[in-house]
Amino acid sequence: MINSILLVDDENLFHLVFEDACSLLDITLNLESISSADQAANMFRDWQGKPKMKPDCVFVDLNIIGSSFDGIELIRKINFEYGNGVVIGIISSSEDKQEIDKAIEAGAQFWIVKSDDIEPRLEQFKEDYEGYCNRINPFKVYV
Amino acid sequence: MRLTEETELSFISLLEERGIRLEGNILKVLETDSEPFKDYIQNGLSKDDELRKKRLEITRQVQEQNKELQQKAEENDKLMNEIKQALADADQAKEDALNDLDLMQKKSQFELIGSIVQVALWIIMGVGVITTMLYAMALFTGSVDTTLLGNTWSNLFGILLTNSFSIIGTIMGVKYATDDKSSKKDE
Repeated sequence: MINSILLVDDENLFHLVFEDACSLLDITLNLESISSADQAANMFRDWQGKPKMKPDCVFVDLNIIGSSFDGIELIRKINFEYGNGVVIGIISSSEDKQEIDKAIEAGAQFWIVKSDDIEPRLEQFKEDYEGYCNRINPFKVYV
Repeated sequence: MRLTEETELSFISLLEERGIRLEGNILKVLETDSEPFKDYIQNGLSKDDELRKKRLEITRQVQEQNKELQQKAEENDKLMNEIKQALADADQAKEDALNDLDLMQKKSQFELIGSIVQVALWIIMGVGVITTMLYAMALFTGSVDTTLLGNTWSNLFGILLTNSFSIIGTIMGVKYATDDKSSKKDE
């Protein structure tokens, strides 16, 4: 089980879907959902030097409406500006190859395709999670 | 996390007496050796799962409806744009048709005026020629009416010339007035 998860997604309805799916699959007991990339960046900036405060895993939407930057830029900021140390990846309905390549460059470890049936992908991710924590798993797209 | 036996029994009796139970993730971290409390936790987890599944289903339906609404809104926008475009095209076509009609009316008016002028000029020329011929015949035949015919010829010729200039002047005036109106309309 993952100790704590942060979800960054502008779609509030998806927060509910994700929370319920995580609870049903016993993925985590501590999940926080926010709607803005700016808010997430500020949180990580505040958590610099406080590793215990950071979530263990971060799921970021690709296009976060109402934010100053997209999910890939948020991942880049978290990885390269605010210090690495979390398992981080994209959760998006897009499967654009170019975007996936950009996410890899930004340091994303996984890409989960958001769809009606997300539970099997989350379950697979849960099984692979230890590998991401230990940085031994290669980048993977969960389709 | 472990609770005391007393607390466990309190939770069980709270459920039996008032139907109130522990819910959510707290149930996943509770540990116990008591069989009744194990059942309590298990039932709580099952109920929680049921509720979450139900909520997940409803949330998905809402998501689906939202998507449909969004699609319909996009279709509506598209249709509205098409209607606006069609209205603009119709307005343009109407304007073109009115311009064509105006042009045709002017054309037929000018044609009519042209015909009138042509006929009038022929009449003037005809009358002039006939009167001149009569005057010439009277002169050559030695008629006594040459004085009368000469005066009549000069009067008639003067009147005809005046009238013909008057007609031409009127036509030119009408033409310039029409041109001026149409150029102002174009502006």
